[in-house]
Amino acid sequence: MRAWKTSRRQLFGVTAGALAAAAGTARSASAEGSIRMFWWGSNDRAERTRKAIQAFEAADPGVSVTSEFAGWDGYWPRLATQIAGDNAPDLLQMDPLYMVEYARRGAIRALDSYRGGALQIDDFGEANLASCSIDGKLFGINNGINAFGTILNASAWRDRGVEPPAFGTTWQQLVEMCRAFKKANKKSGFYAIADGSGRDELFEIWLRGQNKMLYTPDGQLGFEAKDLTGWFEYWAALRADGGCVTPDIQALSKSDAETSPLTTGYAAADYAHSNEFIDFSQLNKAELSLTGIPVNEGNVASNYLKPSQMFSVSAGSRDPETAVKLANFLVNTPSGVQALGVERGIPAAPAMRALILPGLNANEKKTVEFITNLAPYAGKFPPALPKGAGEISTLILRLSQETGFESSTPAQAADQFVREANSILQRR
Amino acid sequence: MGDGVVSKSPAPLALPDLPAAKLARSFRRNAPGYLFLAPWLLGFAVFTVGPALASLYLSFTDYDLVRAPELVGLANYVRIATADPKFAASIHVTFIYVILSVPLKLAFALVIALVLNRGIAGLPLYRAIFYLPSLLGSSVAIAVLWRQLFAADGLVNAVLGHFGYAGPSWISNPRYSLYTLVLLSVWQFGSPMIIFLAGLRQMPRDVYEAASIDGASKLRQFFRITLPLLSPVIFFNAIVQTIDAFRAFTPAFVISGGSGGPINSTLFYTLYLYQEAFGNFRMGYASALAWVLMIIIALFTVFSFLTSRYWVYYDE
Repeated sequence: MRAWKTSRRQLFGVTAGALAAAAGTARSASAEGSIRMFWWGSNDRAERTRKAIQAFEAADPGVSVTSEFAGWDGYWPRLATQIAGDNAPDLLQMDPLYMVEYARRGAIRALDSYRGGALQIDDFGEANLASCSIDGKLFGINNGINAFGTILNASAWRDRGVEPPAFGTTWQQLVEMCRAFKKANKKSGFYAIADGSGRDELFEIWLRGQNKMLYTPDGQLGFEAKDLTGWFEYWAALRADGGCVTPDIQALSKSDAETSPLTTGYAAADYAHSNEFIDFSQLNKAELSLTGIPVNEGNVASNYLKPSQMFSVSAGSRDPETAVKLANFLVNTPSGVQALGVERGIPAAPAMRALILPGLNANEKKTVEFITNLAPYAGKFPPALPKGAGEISTLILRLSQETGFESSTPAQAADQFVREANSILQRR
Repeated sequence: MGDGVVSKSPAPLALPDLPAAKLARSFRRNAPGYLFLAPWLLGFAVFTVGPALASLYLSFTDYDLVRAPELVGLANYVRIATADPKFAASIHVTFIYVILSVPLKLAFALVIALVLNRGIAGLPLYRAIFYLPSLLGSSVAIAVLWRQLFAADGLVNAVLGHFGYAGPSWISNPRYSLYTLVLLSVWQFGSPMIIFLAGLRQMPRDVYEAASIDGASKLRQFFRITLPLLSPVIFFNAIVQTIDAFRAFTPAFVISGGSGGPINSTLFYTLYLYQEAFGNFRMGYASALAWVLMIIIALFTVFSFLTSRYWVYYDE
């Protein structure tokens, strides 16, 4: 008995010691000048970013930066869990799709007070800063401009005697081009373009060509069921003609370069953000080119420039000043910008853009040219996305599949969409 | 050891014990046992009971991970029951999966176990080979492999192509996608097979000898002797596999890229729960979904136990 009592006390002592030690390490991770950065992206992005971070540390010996990255899917759960655990990274990568939610919940911090000090981004321009602001406050630092575009294998088109889509191609012309492609095509299981009916980015540009929008400024749907019916019908007709890939091929795509029908050899064109062009051209053997999204005649400025991503500083950061400094280094300091290149998009600062342009390779130059050539086809930046926009984006995808596999008609799918989307928007 | 100590102190036994004293005494007697159990108990409390209770609390709240949880009463449960089409869709998918995959897997495992039990040469090798898929089964790599096998240009279609049949992209066609996942589950028949094999090894030989002397055919012996004697093992396997099937997550997550698509055809319950929790950050709602799943599994298990007395034979 005696021996047992001693050992219990010992055991308690050991446990308490271990707990204290664990608490100690948790505390010590956040010393002054030491910050953590977290982003999503490829290995290529990680290499570039780590190189830039090393340059930042070399320039300021007082700071140290630990970094981690994840794929897009894994990034958001991990970020949310870290924030909930009061262990948020100081500097994090933010997407326009989620910025409103994070800003309004108070998870990321307004950066206006750093402007003119640690943050020198006045040369980004008002429109750019507005696209990174919520309720008039700056919550993100644009780390690359991009726009939605068409990525295509031009020689696959020309081999079939068809001129590929280009800037200014109308939606109607696209249908005719795909028909001509189909007619001249001998390769079975190969199609002119991917099925874009499930991409909300593409649908948004289609709507803007008709002076409508995806979401109104007060966070409601900016279109009616009949607009979506028209969209689904456009693609249903193209599908019926064999102008775009079959629905079971399209369903293999996860809307990234790796699983795109263009990369996997089922289509001669797909739709993606312009910064993804780097990934696409690395994965495709054929030479690719990048051009605009189809337009409506007489209303061509339906596309728009957007921040591909932003850097945001978490509200829980214990050293926001250093985090802002690092972000500023990455977007508006020559050595930082040169290390990152255009992999996250085109630098927003004109001086930085001019600086890195000569050092870019042919594919990277194409993304810069694309942004330059897009000017006549780019309109105003749309209102901030409402909470639930991410969920609604997957809803369009699902309903487009229902029309593709013909378990719903375009009109049924559009009605269903409006019902479900409104219920998502009303949910708090 | 404890018994000996207690029986040597007769004095307290004469008086009726106070409950507290009784408890203290029983604790003292069992303390070494609890001490040995402590590592497990601690882990169970910290990593299982604690989070489970937290999730029970969260299921009555609205919680987005960033702001503090806000109590909303039964609102989450009311929504699940009345206004959630995706809940209905995921229940539908999950039930089809459970109802198809569990019996098929058990039947397959039993057949292979019967074959292996005939005493073929190299039994340990075959046993290991057949068990391998179960070890790998829930891993991401196997799900990726499955995606390659059943894709439009996968191995399955290449084989079918030799017979002049151009197959669809099985995993991305809503008509077939769920069944490819059922097949994946059946393929992982290893662990029930091992348990069946152990059960078959325990069969008393004399019963079979008596049956063959009486002229019972092999088939009759199987249905009249093997199955009844094996029924406790079948029962165990059925319960474990049913619970496993309800909790299936990785294959659907990997194969559909986390979407449960195409058209929700692989939206397993756990996948929907995951989407709500980590895609839409509705931790409160996801917790409520988790508790509903636990209740469904518990009901299934209770039902199995209630019916077991009619078909499970225990040799007392």
